[in-house]
Amino acid sequence: MTEGTENSSLTSRDPAQPEPIISVQDLVVSYGENTVLHGVNLDILPGETMVILGGSGSGKSTMLRHIEALARPTSGRIFIKGVDVTRASEKELVEIRRIMGISFQSAAMFNSMTVGDNVALPLREHTKLAEPTIKLMTRMKLEQVGLGGVEDLYPSQLSGGMKKRASVARALAMDPEILMFDEPSAGLDPIIAAGIDELILHLKSAFKMTIIVVTHELESAFLIADRLCMLRKGKIIAVGTKDEMRNNDHPRIRQFLDRIPDEVGADQGAYLERLTDR
Amino acid sequence: MNILESVGKSTIERVEYLGGLTVQFWRGLRASWRANPITGNRLRWKSTVLQMAIVGVNALPVVCLISACTGLILALQAGAELRQFGALQFVINLVGVSMTRELGPLMTAVVVIGRSGSAFSAEIGTMVVTEEIDALRAMALDPVEFVLVPKYLAMMAMMPCLTIAADAAGVMAGGIYTYYALDMSMGLYLQATLEVLLTRDIVSGLVKSIAFGTIIVHVGCFEGFKVRGGPEGVGRATTAAVVKSIFLVVMADLLFTAFFYFFWQ
Repeated sequence: MTEGTENSSLTSRDPAQPEPIISVQDLVVSYGENTVLHGVNLDILPGETMVILGGSGSGKSTMLRHIEALARPTSGRIFIKGVDVTRASEKELVEIRRIMGISFQSAAMFNSMTVGDNVALPLREHTKLAEPTIKLMTRMKLEQVGLGGVEDLYPSQLSGGMKKRASVARALAMDPEILMFDEPSAGLDPIIAAGIDELILHLKSAFKMTIIVVTHELESAFLIADRLCMLRKGKIIAVGTKDEMRNNDHPRIRQFLDRIPDEVGADQGAYLERLTDR
Repeated sequence: MNILESVGKSTIERVEYLGGLTVQFWRGLRASWRANPITGNRLRWKSTVLQMAIVGVNALPVVCLISACTGLILALQAGAELRQFGALQFVINLVGVSMTRELGPLMTAVVVIGRSGSAFSAEIGTMVVTEEIDALRAMALDPVEFVLVPKYLAMMAMMPCLTIAADAAGVMAGGIYTYYALDMSMGLYLQATLEVLLTRDIVSGLVKSIAFGTIIVHVGCFEGFKVRGGPEGVGRATTAAVVKSIFLVVMADLLFTAFFYFFWQ
């Protein structure tokens, strides 16, 4: 297929742009025979909200895991504020991770601790703040995400949307420069999902954070993004602003944005080829 | 696949497994040092004490019960044989020595594997599935230090204690037999046992219990960290943790017994 060929021209950078805070270069990730990411290039600028769009299995969550340095790639580099996290030592990673916060798809709250302890955990572990200060900051972070007064509850006592918000509060605890969301609205009803979008917009305007959101929800993506990047089968097929994406006539992008299902059986030859491909 | 290939493949898998365990053991030791009580991180101590209660104190009744039964079984079986030679008083030696050297630590380990080893792998496996382990790493916290070290320290403290309790329970139960078979009072029986037992018997049992505790924590946690996929992975990890722990504990027991046999008589 021809999808990979236009990669380089799409991601080439305008020299007038500021230095990117995150720079992904030729990222290749394979598990055994199965290659999930085929040489991805992406620059994310400080203060922008980048939405990584893509269908299931496009490799978008994998990309986020590698930016967070939770796994080492097969090849390629990822620079965060100039540090190559794919080759960094554990010590350097500790420093880098302190400026990053992540809200996981499953919220990933520690079920054995109260919500307050969850949010306070990074503060207790990484700072020498006094306990009353930590209590105060915990309450502050929880109120920022609209969750005042739940600090003594356990995560299992919260609803899905509240858990997501609490995990954002935990990600915010160390005042990160980069905030990442993995599928922020997955499994939530539209009203709560809209609330999460609003929260992201609020964080963006209030704290000027660099925000990366991985999602497949189009509406929310176009609401919160400064720029979007579209992944398909482990390759970036387009990067651009909302308008650039809307006007892009790449067939796969049109298909995704216009929500057209994969055609089965329209082209007999191609169908047969696809079936016998492996 | 021919025989040679499959033998080679499974050998490589075993060696890889042991290698992984060794790496984790080493990281665990270094992280344990960071949690030492004087200069270390006090936050770990709260969870260590909690773990001590879970793996140690709560296991005490069942450890004692099982060891008492083992001690009594041992006395009955030995009594049946020794009676034929008129050497019934040697039941005291047999129960005392085999409980302290062998069965005390071993039965304790089996109970702790069933209660805690499986729980460790299930707990950590679930944390992997729900991305809690990733969340820890994303917060720049070492999962080994945060999750494994409190369990390890608790186990190091509690295994010898449980083993001593098991030794005592087993020996006492042996006394029930001698009370009826030899008409021997409990006081006299305990005195006779103390005369038979050497420090070596008890210490070698305690050394074993430390080794068993190390195996149980590391295999349980290793299986947990290895979980991939969903809840069925957690189930598999729990089974694997129990089976592999029992196997490795018995192997370690054999090694230690052989070592003490040759070098510490």
